Amino acid sequence: MNARILVVDDDTALAEMIGIVLRTEGFEPSFCADGSGALDAFHETRPDLVLLDLMLPGIDGIEVCTRIRSESGVPIIMLTAKTDTADVVKGLESGADDYMVKPFNPKELLARIRTRLRPASPQSQDQLQIGDLVLDVAGHEVRRGDKRINLTPLEFDLLLTLATKPQQVFTREMLLEQVWGYHYKADTRLVNVHVQRLRAKVEDDPDNPRIVMTVRGVGYRAGAAAAA
Amino acid sequence: MTLGQGVSGIRLENWRTWPARAVRSWRRSLQFRTIVVTLALSLFALLISSFYMAITIGNDLFQSRVSQAQQDSARAVESAQNLLDSSSDLGRANSQELMGAAREEIARTASSAMIAGYRAPGQEPSVTGPQDFENVRLKDVVSDEIRRLVQDNPDEQWWQSVSLPTANEGRVPGIVVGSQITLPEGSRWEIYIGFDLSDTEQTLLFVQRTLFIGGLTLLILVGAVAWVIVRLVANPVRVAAETSEQLASGDLEVRIPVKGEDELATLARSFNGMADSLQAQIRELADLSQVQQRFVSDVSHELRTPLTTIRLAGDVLYDQRSEFPPATARTAELLHTQTQRFEVLLADLLEISRYDAGSVQLEIEPHSLVHLAEDSIEGMASLAEQKGSDVRLVAPGGYSDVEIDPRRIRRVVRNLLGNAIEHGEGRPIVITVDSNEQAVALSVRDYGHGMTEADAQRVFDRFWRADPSRKRTIGGTGLGLAIALEDAQLHGGNLEVWSRVGEGSCFRLTLPRVLGGEVTISPLPLPPDDADGLVETADAAREKEVGV
Repeated sequence: MNARILVVDDDTALAEMIGIVLRTEGFEPSFCADGSGALDAFHETRPDLVLLDLMLPGIDGIEVCTRIRSESGVPIIMLTAKTDTADVVKGLESGADDYMVKPFNPKELLARIRTRLRPASPQSQDQLQIGDLVLDVAGHEVRRGDKRINLTPLEFDLLLTLATKPQQVFTREMLLEQVWGYHYKADTRLVNVHVQRLRAKVEDDPDNPRIVMTVRGVGYRAGAAAAA
Repeated sequence: MTLGQGVSGIRLENWRTWPARAVRSWRRSLQFRTIVVTLALSLFALLISSFYMAITIGNDLFQSRVSQAQQDSARAVESAQNLLDSSSDLGRANSQELMGAAREEIARTASSAMIAGYRAPGQEPSVTGPQDFENVRLKDVVSDEIRRLVQDNPDEQWWQSVSLPTANEGRVPGIVVGSQITLPEGSRWEIYIGFDLSDTEQTLLFVQRTLFIGGLTLLILVGAVAWVIVRLVANPVRVAAETSEQLASGDLEVRIPVKGEDELATLARSFNGMADSLQAQIRELADLSQVQQRFVSDVSHELRTPLTTIRLAGDVLYDQRSEFPPATARTAELLHTQTQRFEVLLADLLEISRYDAGSVQLEIEPHSLVHLAEDSIEGMASLAEQKGSDVRLVAPGGYSDVEIDPRRIRRVVRNLLGNAIEHGEGRPIVITVDSNEQAVALSVRDYGHGMTEADAQRVFDRFWRADPSRKRTIGGTGLGLAIALEDAQLHGGNLEVWSRVGEGSCFRLTLPRVLGGEVTISPLPLPPDDADGLVETADAAREKEVGV
């Protein structure tokens, strides 16, 4: 089944062009030209991925992103004409998994989309433990005791990557490559922001993390599995 | 004891600093200066007037006392003479008694006991006549001069200023008045009467003391008045000075309070008017700057979106160019490359506008400059190979992490290296990294064409090209070095160039170890060690490098 992709962009020419590129690669694009209609279009088409322009008439992209994120973990890739730190960080904090700065080239766009749509790499184990959390790999679920924790696919990927090799310290660059699919130096803010979002969901005390530990000057590693 | 010494020591030290402090106050305080000048001038005027008054009063007092003494003396001598004339006894005993009576008469009339009588010389010595007499206080006081005058002019009265001995060895001012009397027997006598002027001197002293105290009081009063007046004038001036300082330091809201309608109020009003217009203009400029920033942001969005479409379209065509006829295929290629070039140019333009708008923020991450240089060299390796340049890294220092924005500094290094490769004529390129206590530095040295000094000065100008006719391979935008310089300066560092025609160029980037740190000496020399009189070495190095 072809993956459905919702393109939210007020520039019809660009949206059409992105549609052409996506169709060529076998995706099934649908379009929405403003922020206020974006959520309805999202409900209607139930896309597998959303390409979301940051500057939209009506409701702006960040607000749309926040609303989609509040009801779904579907991958969101932000399209932005701005490289200013504040805008990018705001977009990521509102829940976007990745962002692309205009102008981008089609190969890059397709690579980003494929990374977000790929199924999680097959695991030998069904269940992994990290701190006092249990990861159900097949069911894409995280539980603390009996309580289920809702994570987006990206957050799950991030946690899974760390949990798979609990002994290893992951640099931000390694995480960018394994979770986001970047094979060159990219923006490490992606990692920082998503680690913060992940911690806010899984840590008892985000200021004093036990699951995703910071290794100063290097990167992150998984917290030790609870003895129990 | 120790404490006492300590205290006196401190006091002494304070005393020593007084002249310096006075000089500083003189230079820096209008108030101090005005008061000092006022006091000095008043003191001068007071001194002159007091001096004049003291002298006049002294003279008057003396004169009146002298004339009084003369009158007293004349009266006394006259009554004594009358007494003598009215007696007719010529006996010895009688003449002695007569003299005694005359002395008493004189003392009574002149109210002075200081009387001396000498028998005038040049007369027949008389055995029976009275003896010369002299009050102790007049001993050695009557000078020969006055005696001669009295002797020569029997009918006249003479006086002389003298200093009279007192009982306790001291001396007081006085005068001696001399005249002659004649005894009934016919002998002439010089009579001298001393008058003590110490009471007059007392009066004079009192007057002088009064003058001095009055003068001092007046001086203090004048000083106080000057202080009050200067404060009245200088305070508003100081307020104005402080306010303009605040204004200069960026606080545009400050104003001087306007009181009344005098000159100071006019000053305050015109100052406030100036501040108002300054504030208005600065606000206007700030608005302009905001407009500029918004414009940049808008251009950013508005240009980038169609460019993205063009880019996507161009790439789709480019990917299918093998299916097109040759001319169309080439068109697709050109579209592809020129779109990329346009993209880079747009990115550079936006970057430089961001600097102009002052909206650039560093993202500091501790990073090693050597590692960064290694990365950049690796990234440019294929281009260097294409041009045949051998890129060397010499790094005696600079391995430890420093506070930089690695993205920006990597861009600077890539830019310098790219330029070196492009203009390096395929000769070796040496990148040197070193550090000192304050800073790290990286220099990129090529041995290519080089530039004239005039060209080197303009190398950081926007859209400036050393030689417009030269073929360009990297397709730089002409903004690279301008952006690199902004990046370096944003870090608190600097980017400098040395170049000479035929010897190549050297760009040196110096950055403080800690953001905001001070850099006095760059760890690397500029011009490079192999420039200036060391051309042979440079040649040798070049040959050696080429040989390798």
